[in-house]
Amino acid sequence: MRILRSFGLALCILAAGGVLSLVLPEYHLRLLNLSVVASIAVIGLNIAFGYVGLISLGHAAFVGLGAYIMAISTTRLGLSPWLAMPAAVAATAAFAVAIGLPLLRLKGHYLALATLGLNVSFVIVASNWLEMTGGTNGIAQIPSFSILHHAISDERSFLWLALVSLTLVVVVATLLHHSRYGRALISVRDDELAAEMTGIDTTRLKIMGFAFSAAYAAFAGCLFASHVRFISPEDFSYAHSINYLAMLIVGGEGTIVGAILGSVLLTFLPEWLRFLGNAYLALFGLLVFLVLVFLPTGIVGLRKFVRGPSRVDRSVQAAAEVRP
Amino acid sequence: MTILDARNISKRYGGLAALTDVDMTVSAGEFVAIIGPNGAGKSTLLNVFTGLVVPDSGAVLLAGNDVTRHATNRRIKAGLGRTFQHGRTFPRLTVLENVMVGAAICPTLGERALRESALQIIEQMGLADIADNAIRTLSYGHRRMVELARAVACNPKVLLLDEPAAGLNSAEVAQLVKRLAHLREKHQLAVVLIEHNMGMVMRLAERIVVLNFGSKIAEGAPAEIQANPAVLSAYLGEGYAHARV
Repeated sequence: MRILRSFGLALCILAAGGVLSLVLPEYHLRLLNLSVVASIAVIGLNIAFGYVGLISLGHAAFVGLGAYIMAISTTRLGLSPWLAMPAAVAATAAFAVAIGLPLLRLKGHYLALATLGLNVSFVIVASNWLEMTGGTNGIAQIPSFSILHHAISDERSFLWLALVSLTLVVVVATLLHHSRYGRALISVRDDELAAEMTGIDTTRLKIMGFAFSAAYAAFAGCLFASHVRFISPEDFSYAHSINYLAMLIVGGEGTIVGAILGSVLLTFLPEWLRFLGNAYLALFGLLVFLVLVFLPTGIVGLRKFVRGPSRVDRSVQAAAEVRP
Repeated sequence: MTILDARNISKRYGGLAALTDVDMTVSAGEFVAIIGPNGAGKSTLLNVFTGLVVPDSGAVLLAGNDVTRHATNRRIKAGLGRTFQHGRTFPRLTVLENVMVGAAICPTLGERALRESALQIIEQMGLADIADNAIRTLSYGHRRMVELARAVACNPKVLLLDEPAAGLNSAEVAQLVKRLAHLREKHQLAVVLIEHNMGMVMRLAERIVVLNFGSKIAEGAPAEIQANPAVLSAYLGEGYAHARV
């Protein structure tokens, strides 16, 4: 039932995107494209943070790694973007496994700091490895995806590619969530010791979750590179990692819908507040703060005001009525 | 046939001897209780069995295989199951999903088979009415039952229970005793029980091991243990034998 509902969500995404692609002006289409790409990255972060509880402040490094592998293999090696993308996703996931082996021995804020260090190191390497990455000049003229010799280079066509990608990602994430692996990932965050006591190899599972999360990030990075067609190290700084985390927490961690809502909201909010000039950051911070205080489950928590208490809330209420 | 065999287990924490040369065996299908005062080393011994504590010396054999250096998850896959003193469930999952996490120890079961297997155990544990409830809506007693159901779903040969009656009221304890007897018969389980509720221990255990200050001071049938002067002095109290009379 829940899986059917998620397929429904995927269809809604496509339908809403279809309508928006017809009515929105070019600039808003560009923002929408950026928010869809961010959604894919944040759904990935939701696997690491929302399910397994790995506090990652280095997610942008994986987005960047995917984007750079895509950019280098298309511009230098002349590979088709369709071939470069799976290679970039696989290489980034492999890198996440390799780095995850030592990194995931750390927990809580130690892990957060270590992943932050990873992100800072990535930017330093990308800025200084001039022969490979072009340094701070970045890599330009990254080719767009093309279907039947039609380049997906304008915002409207790219929106369709991004939406189909998001739909695919939502379906895969939903299937994962409701599988034995999804439940195992969630159990590791809830109680690692109890999870181990059900025969789960928690170390291996955390690395798997981290790699899966990095693969999503790399996928988003590839889409970003082919959309913007120019990348530089500052596109993947630690500030972006913190932004991804804010998107997930504001939207609602642990939920796919929350990841999408948070990504769209936090991509558009700075534009809506542009009239405030430099003061927009203060209001932006205040809004995020209010969401965290009054909606601790994120903006997906608003649904209880729309359609009444959730199944969990109803059973809490029923239990309270039964107890003397 | 011996299913769990602990040989000369010793563990020290600095100057404190938590366990000193403890031997213990559990046969297939047997119900063994470990009793002793707080700090006697009972939970430490369970932690040594499950791999949460590595002993300084000695060996743990599970079905004849030395698992002393094996990780916890490998021991669980090899046939150990355990519940904790304060009940540990997965609060973001429902009752059914909690038990499905345990049942997933069998790698060949598909999603539908997993669900059916978990539902069967939930039925046996009398939790069918709350199968779809979130853990945070449950009473403490129900949560402990869910933890037990999850451990049984792992299909263990030996089930290690660390004070399962702690915090339960008398009706819940009576229910737990009934369920344990039923589970043991149904699944041919060996059970190792740590418990301070002597009524429960004497009703269920076939053999009792008594620990005090990390050493085994007695072992035998419930009637022998209740009459053992060392046990009366260290744990049960001199009045226990008179009270029984």
